[in-house]
Amino acid sequence: MLVDALKSEAYRVSRNRTTLFFSILLTPLLFVFGGLAYQIMTKAKGDALAAKANLPATLGNQPVNLAEAFGFAAGNGANGVLLVFMLLAAAAVYAGDYRWETWRLISARNGRPWLILGKIGVMKVLAMIAMLAMLIAAFIFFVTQALVAGRPMSFDLSDFDLVQFLLTWLLSYIRIVQYGLIALLAAVVSRSLLATLFAPWALGFAQTILGGPLLPILGWEPSDWAAQLLLPGLAYDTLKAALARGPMPLPEGVVMKAVVSLVLWCVAPVAASIAWFQRQDLSKE
Amino acid sequence: MQTVIEIRGLTKTYGTVKALDGLTLSIPRGGVYGILGPNGAGKSTLFRTLLGLIRPTAGEATVMGGRIGDPAATRRMGSMIETPRFPPFMTARQVLVWLGYAHGGVASSDIEAWLKRMGLAEAADRRVRGFSVGMLQRLGVAAALMTKPDLVILDEPTSGMDPPGIQEMRALIRSLADDDGVTVILASHQLQEVQRVCDRVAIFNKGKVITEGRVSDLTASGERLRLSATPLAKAMGVLGDKATLDGDALIAALTRAETPAAIRALVEAGVDIEEARWIGADLEDVFMSETGWTGVQGAPDKGTDHAG
Repeated sequence: MLVDALKSEAYRVSRNRTTLFFSILLTPLLFVFGGLAYQIMTKAKGDALAAKANLPATLGNQPVNLAEAFGFAAGNGANGVLLVFMLLAAAAVYAGDYRWETWRLISARNGRPWLILGKIGVMKVLAMIAMLAMLIAAFIFFVTQALVAGRPMSFDLSDFDLVQFLLTWLLSYIRIVQYGLIALLAAVVSRSLLATLFAPWALGFAQTILGGPLLPILGWEPSDWAAQLLLPGLAYDTLKAALARGPMPLPEGVVMKAVVSLVLWCVAPVAASIAWFQRQDLSKE
Repeated sequence: MQTVIEIRGLTKTYGTVKALDGLTLSIPRGGVYGILGPNGAGKSTLFRTLLGLIRPTAGEATVMGGRIGDPAATRRMGSMIETPRFPPFMTARQVLVWLGYAHGGVASSDIEAWLKRMGLAEAADRRVRGFSVGMLQRLGVAAALMTKPDLVILDEPTSGMDPPGIQEMRALIRSLADDDGVTVILASHQLQEVQRVCDRVAIFNKGKVITEGRVSDLTASGERLRLSATPLAKAMGVLGDKATLDGDALIAALTRAETPAAIRALVEAGVDIEEARWIGADLEDVFMSETGWTGVQGAPDKGTDHAG
């Protein structure tokens, strides 16, 4: 049953070129072309300055290590632009077809929990493909960086830490999926495209305010359970810092709190959505 | 009598409006069963409930032996409720593949066969956003039938279709029941269509069944005597309010038992009777008399459920 729901939803999304373009292709394309434009401008400015100061043109001619694209893509996988466009995809998958007309067609053919889980599964696949597209874009960015600057290229994996890469990748992936699941809950409860788009944004905005100026006012430390559980964004930053192995040690136990927070923010929206959807009247809107 | 649907005291309320009001109904296996009623009588609400799209407020129903929403039973059903709407970016063929996947897979040969049978073979690769209402109906029927269901629910299947399409649909529905042994439940406002296609009907009003039975029995119970008589005015005077004018004849609402006495009275009054024959009531007469429908602005005191 779940397999049928997955196949069905995957087929439907695969025919929706607009959703595919916005969720998978647009962010990497923006990244590549934006990066290229920035590099060209920087190079032109740098060349002018070098000529003015009569510096040698070979300055900064060290090779561009293409292997660094891995770490770059994993660390920036859950970037704001990608999150925004993945939310567009989530709105299309969860809410765009959240019409009585569509549900009467498919809910008579499969169980409601399976249909919701099928949609979640497809969104997870979209998120993974979007991150892989970002990885390819990162490579292209590094290559163009070398070409524009006239620097040599290398592929040096001596500093590459596979475990760190995989965990950072997983963390970014969970962050994208988590935003999508909040969108799912908003879709099921509101049955509105706009609410599906804006609820996760509003939550992100609220977290920014809470995590910044309000945290000290509330008397919470970032390492407190309350702060970590209420602010999945803070939990994400905590784990990202832990994986980056910065010079400052993290407070004891905070990593575990952050992991619990991320897991809860993934499981709770799914459970709530399925429970709500099971009881929901799919009347005409 | 084997039944495919058993409904006991089914009630659905929306706020203060009762869309279904303690509805009780048994639908037998096999044949074509018509559900009639004015707008707002509760037909579509019943269908949505049977398909598990909405939850009843009270009462219970079994469909194909399973409770409402039981996936095993639901998957043996095909349905099309009102004009179907499909993702506009998909072609007709893609819509059927998509719904086939959701159902557990439908052979591509079956999909092609249904596209052809519903006259959509040439439009199979066109996006549905450009389809007419009639084409959407055809696609909806194909989607309902391609999984070879045992029970099919069709709500206004001929809506938006041209006359040849309506005839084809009638033939298809009859063939499903007669040749494939499928039970078809049909809701339609086209009473002539229902009379031609259905074996049994239930007439709904205000969320309740007000009449149920075989079409032949319902129409027979309303049969009347058509008399060609001279002079008509005298005949009208003898029969009083039991007679109404119908062109150059009159229609007498008499039972068969009352007829000999009435004929005698007419002859004794000097009326020449040229022809007397029984005519059956059609379903429209039955519908109008049962629902109190005026034929102008709908039933004067009909239910007003918002769900249709």
